[in-house]
Amino acid sequence: MSAERVTVKEKVLSANDQLAAETRARLQAEGVFAVNLISSPGSGKTTLLECTVDLMKPSLRLGVMAGDVQTRNDADRLIRHGIPVEAIETGGGCHLDARQVSRALTTFDLSNTDLLFIENVGNLVCPAGFDLGESVKVVLMSVTEGDDKPVKYPAAFKRAAALVLTKTDLVPHLQFSLERVLEYARSVNPDLAFFSTSSYTGDGLAEWTGWLAGQVAALKRS
Amino acid sequence: MHELSLALQIREICERELEKQPESRLTALGVEVGAFSAVEVETLQFCLQIVMSERFDGVRCEVIRQPGTAACSSCGLEFEVTQAPFECPSCGALARGVSGGDSLQVSYIEVESER
Repeated sequence: MSAERVTVKEKVLSANDQLAAETRARLQAEGVFAVNLISSPGSGKTTLLECTVDLMKPSLRLGVMAGDVQTRNDADRLIRHGIPVEAIETGGGCHLDARQVSRALTTFDLSNTDLLFIENVGNLVCPAGFDLGESVKVVLMSVTEGDDKPVKYPAAFKRAAALVLTKTDLVPHLQFSLERVLEYARSVNPDLAFFSTSSYTGDGLAEWTGWLAGQVAALKRS
Repeated sequence: MHELSLALQIREICERELEKQPESRLTALGVEVGAFSAVEVETLQFCLQIVMSERFDGVRCEVIRQPGTAACSSCGLEFEVTQAPFECPSCGALARGVSGGDSLQVSYIEVESER
């Protein structure tokens, strides 16, 4: 009888990562900038997207993949804004994975798309662990969620390129410290771009869409 | 929340490794889980024990926690982090960013053979 330890060092999500890499290469080749939007349920992803689409549609060709555990409600809301939308129902899954995104990608005319939003399932934990082949992850949090969110869910904030604070019109009714959010967020990720927005009043949306347009332009130049 | 499906994928990786040495019996495995891998270690351990025992009797499952690294925003000290808030053990200031701790991999397997 002989016993032996064998070094494996294989990533558990290697199949997902492989598909994500293929998606990333395709998007890059077509010049599509893809944003993976991650947040808790109810933080305002769909509403922010509706406003973002209305502001950016005149100058860029947009598309949205809307992930949800059940229903096509978010996709239906976005379709009304006159852009290509594909719903991904995960049927209980707590996050989108690269396989679902890769399959949904076939429904888009990528050569006629500049900016693709991937609205992840509302969940600030699991989506952080799954590469979808996006250009960047953007994390959203609403002011009602509490200013310590970045340190409660560090994985999402660590991997994100930007943080969008939403529903800032509600701040007068809350005990909420913008300074603390920023301090906590930067303790996890000092390079986070930061946008303070209200889809209700429109505050901050110009900065957010300006940043997105800049990212798209940088990709086209590369 | 998806630890059970991760455990199943870990089992598949082990099975593929074992195909390379069909005479051997799996006795143990080690999985490295980073502090920022968005995986709950105790839940993964629980799920792993269940799905691995279905195929491999008596297998020992080790989950190895991989910490992240942080740098203090005030005194510059580098320190290991596993849990927020990421405060410097020396001066108490918050970190200016964390790195590493992203691992989620099958680190090793242990096998026994009759030879």
